[in-house]
Order: sequence, then C-alpha cells, then structure tokens
Amino acid sequence: MATTEPSSYAADILSEPIVKTTETIHVELTPHDLDSLAATRFVRSPSAGATVLFIGTTRDSFNGLPVSSLAYTSYPPLAINTLSTIAQAILTKHQCTKIAIVHKLGECPIGEESIVIAVSAPHRQAAWRAGEEALEETKAKAEIWKLERFEGGDGVWRANRDGVMGVKIDEGGKKGE
Amino acid sequence: MAPAKAPAGHFSILYFAAASTYTRRASEHLPAPVRARDLFALLEERYPGIGEKVLSSCAVTVNLEYVDAGGDDAEDAGRVIKEGDEVAIIPPVSSG
Repeated sequence: MATTEPSSYAADILSEPIVKTTETIHVELTPHDLDSLAATRFVRSPSAGATVLFIGTTRDSFNGLPVSSLAYTSYPPLAINTLSTIAQAILTKHQCTKIAIVHKLGECPIGEESIVIAVSAPHRQAAWRAGEEALEETKAKAEIWKLERFEGGDGVWRANRDGVMGVKIDEGGKKGE
Repeated sequence: MAPAKAPAGHFSILYFAAASTYTRRASEHLPAPVRARDLFALLEERYPGIGEKVLSSCAVTVNLEYVDAGGDDAEDAGRVIKEGDEVAIIPPVSSG
C-alpha cells in the first residue's frame, strides 16, 4: 500500500534524539547525521571477539525510477519501545554481548546513512546472524515510515512488505487511476 | 508531534504516513467513548473510502499497545476507547 504526498510535504521534525540505553542495549531515533563509530564504540567489549556493523544508506532509485529525496517519519514513543524489544530479543536469542540500533528521522539526503546497527558477540557467527536478524526485524516492525519523492512527481509512502510501488490517491482522498 | 491533550469527553487519534495523507491531518480529537471495533466505521463516516484504501492494511494502537480493531479477537472485542486515550493508526512500516 502506498499513497502520495504533494512534493511540498515536510516530515515532522524531531528536534532532539530520543534514546533508550542500558548496559547492553542502545536504541535511538535521531534527526542528526548517524554516527556509526559511536554505535561501534558502544558495543565494544573485552568479552566480545566479534563486532558486526551494518550501515543502511538511502538509494537513488526504486524499480528504476529516480528518487530525488527521502524523509522518514515515526511514532517515536512506540518505535523506541519496539526497537528496544527487538534488541533485547536478539541479545537473548543469539547470546550477543551488546547491540545498538540507530535510525534517522526527518529529511535524509540520497546516499546518506538512514540506519546503523552494531552488534558484538563472543564469536563471529552469532554476531553476523544477530546483525542480519536485527535489521530484518526492524524493517518489519519499527513504526517508522519512508516517504520517497520521485523526480518530477509526488512522494510515495513506501511499505516494506509490499516491495512494489503501490496505488496512488489524489489529494482529495478520492480513488485515482 | 503529539497533539494537545484531548478536551473532556474526547480521545486523541494520530494518523501516520498514508493515513495522514488521506485525512490531511496528523491528529485530531474525537468524542469518547467508542468501542474499538467501531473505530474503523467511525473513520469511514468522516473520511469516505478510507476503510478500503488505507485502514484495511493498518494496525491500531491504544496508549502504545496494539489492539485488534477488526473485532475478531475475543480479547479485544469489548474494548472501549476512553476519554483521554491516545489512539494511533499504524500503516505498514518502511524503515531502513
């Protein structure tokens, strides 16, 4: 499912990062540029022999159509709870040492980091698997929405589960073709 | 982003992404109480076509907890949205 936004749409601006941190988990939603080194530093530990870092950057096309800009919006209090729950489940399941999940909100220029995940574990297999699963779970569940604006056109709300362009509606909320 | 506190006898409802586009607003206050299973019908009255176009693929939270607004879940069938509650319409997500 997707609906269009006029190109004038401005994402809600989160003025300050929203953070939830424990000894072993750091989850954050931020309007600022992502700091992958800080995430890596957070998960570093003498008991961990492996650290895996994933950096997701925004792509300049969708199904061959050029994307001119992107913005992320969220329901922050719910999304931060969801990220926290995902992080805790991953730590337990893969017996990891520490985990950090940080997502950008607001405008995100093409080619820049939109998500950073860092995981540390005693051994590399667990860290690889945990990193991949943390990303997939986040994409499936975190209450964050991406608006892609296409060159010369309106914006489209992406839905990860669709993987397709989706149906458009016009501004009046009437069914379009 | 959070709306002003709902006036007496009302609850807050937040619209995200496609739901926000369709209603052309981020939030509003609606009269409480409303049974959770009647919520989609209420929104369809206010925004004709929203049910099929948007809500059919959306989830609903009340005070940051997911509820079954479809009315099929026995546990949530009798749930009532009360004065002061914060309800949110959650379209399919797209982080990453």
